[in-house]
Amino acid sequence: MLYDLIIIGGGPAGVAAGIYASRKKLKTLLITESIGGQPVIAGTINNFIGFKSISGIELKNIFEEHLHFQGGVDLKEGLRVEKIVKKDGGFLISANNGESFETKVVLIAVGSSPKRLNIPGEEKFEGKGVFYCSICDAPLMKDKVAAVIGGGNSGYYSVLDLLPYASKIYVLEYGDSLRADPVYQDKANASGKVEVITMAAVKEILGDDFVRGLKYEDRKSGELRELKLDGVFVAIGYQSNSGLAKNLVEINQWGKIVVNHQSQTTSLEGVWAAGDVTDVFYNQINIAVGDAVKAVLNIYDYLNRK
Amino acid sequence: MVKIYTTTTCPYCVMAKDYFKKIGIQYEEFNVAEDEKAREELVRKSHQMGVPVIDIDGTIIVGFNRAEIDRALGK
Repeated sequence: MLYDLIIIGGGPAGVAAGIYASRKKLKTLLITESIGGQPVIAGTINNFIGFKSISGIELKNIFEEHLHFQGGVDLKEGLRVEKIVKKDGGFLISANNGESFETKVVLIAVGSSPKRLNIPGEEKFEGKGVFYCSICDAPLMKDKVAAVIGGGNSGYYSVLDLLPYASKIYVLEYGDSLRADPVYQDKANASGKVEVITMAAVKEILGDDFVRGLKYEDRKSGELRELKLDGVFVAIGYQSNSGLAKNLVEINQWGKIVVNHQSQTTSLEGVWAAGDVTDVFYNQINIAVGDAVKAVLNIYDYLNRK
Repeated sequence: MVKIYTTTTCPYCVMAKDYFKKIGIQYEEFNVAEDEKAREELVRKSHQMGVPVIDIDGTIIVGFNRAEIDRALGK
């Protein structure tokens, strides 16, 4: 079976692309680990147009319903694509279960993942006190001391997730000031539980079987300091999941797939990309959806011209 | 016997439970934020504390991973 289009990724961009591809009657396969993407862990979303306030899970369910209602897209869920290879004027897509699929063109919409600190102890204690999904794991910090690494909005979302549970929350920020919106900072400060430490470079996560503390450098004095705590929530931004496109298309120094922002084409003919995996300036659900639509319309024109 | 260890707010726990409902698999849920005994069990089984953890007849799966769930169920 040769597909017209294989969409890799089932977040907002992938789903939007699926719906448009089906309406254009392209023979389409969508491959994803699970439908939903990053909105699932976002908690509540208040800025997706048309929805005053919606949970990530509800939005994911609506995306799924829309995709099924539209129909016409083959769906492979629970698979991770590991490789994209050029083959006979098209592409061969291989998944982690050994299956492979052939297609004329590809749309990469695999999004981004939380960035790692890349310091000693982080990997060792992942899931053992080092967490990346605060809405999932904040309740484990009941009556415990936690630190949030990162003083931006995503850091403060973690702080707000922790407020009902943790007895104390440190916020460690590398820079000299917090970048989170004042409305979040005010809410956190009002709790009396939050202590902010700026100019802090986190150096090591400490513990035995589980996290017991962390070591950071006070960047003003150069002094190393330790905090005793039970959990570390890492919220220092996101990194593009561009690994599967390495050595295939141009990727910039920040690991993002470089696209033409008019058409979403990449450096390689036959490969498009959309959403947070690309070098788009703003990572928003609305924008990921729009960019994916743009990509499919351009793919449709391209396939008709061929 | 399927057991799932969850917290109240964890979206991947909801997704996992929805998946079990969809394929008609019964499960028992333990909220580790409320239930200290369940929390100890989760740590003992998975050697970590993140959720969800799914126990399918002794096969322990950390996180919501459909392919691994299907494999453990022999699907």
